[in-house]
Amino acid sequence: MMVPMLGWLAMLAIGGGLVMGFGIAPREVTQGSVQRIMYVHVPFAWVAYLAFAVVFVASIAYLWRRSAAADRVAHASAEAGVVFTGLAIATGSIWGKPTWGTWWTWDARLTSVALLFVLYLGYLMLRGMIEDRERGARYAAVLGIIAALDIPLVHFSVFWWRTLHQPPSIRPGSAAMPGVILAALLVNVVAFTLLYAYFVAKRSRVLRLAEEMPA
Amino acid sequence: MTADHWTFVIAAYGLAAVVLGGYWRRLVRQERAVRAGSARRQSRR
Repeated sequence: MMVPMLGWLAMLAIGGGLVMGFGIAPREVTQGSVQRIMYVHVPFAWVAYLAFAVVFVASIAYLWRRSAAADRVAHASAEAGVVFTGLAIATGSIWGKPTWGTWWTWDARLTSVALLFVLYLGYLMLRGMIEDRERGARYAAVLGIIAALDIPLVHFSVFWWRTLHQPPSIRPGSAAMPGVILAALLVNVVAFTLLYAYFVAKRSRVLRLAEEMPA
Repeated sequence: MTADHWTFVIAAYGLAAVVLGGYWRRLVRQERAVRAGSARRQSRR
């Protein structure tokens, strides 16, 4: 019952995010309407961080307690994280072409995010390759912890290397963003966080049903 | 005045809709398949 409700709530919030992004938030003065891509790009990047942080915590919980539920959450969260990271890269690239004049550049942020994407693709492939469930879960948990080391690298890359990608727009000391643009961004962050939670809950349930299937 | 580049905006939102919708459909199909498999095995017992 909870899972479908989470899905409907996410749909409703995404609808609200679209209204905010296209109907209420004004056209940005310097970038024009292409800036509206940020209302999905930023939430996708945030959800990717969240998803892999959840993999990290669930992997520690699995190694510590050998909890099958923690393993399922790690697996489901990694899968959703790869989907959202892929979308963050793709939407960023689509925004980059008219704004930076290029689809892709080996900038520190872009490169570290691409590495994150490949690491968790490898994580999912590892899970798929090992037939013994317990052994697969153990190896995946170790990789889930090691791969998470790339998350701070992604986040701080814009401060440490100062390449093309701009630092986060919402941070202490940065120029204030107009309230309506910030609100549109935050509504979309909430909406896609709900969608992520729905995906993880649904995928975890599928994994549990598969484990409980009579042999 | 800066150009709006609406085709890029539509491409980004369209791609997001296709990928997220596709992933959701995959989850629905997986759940249906697991439930059907489970029911089949129980009826065989």
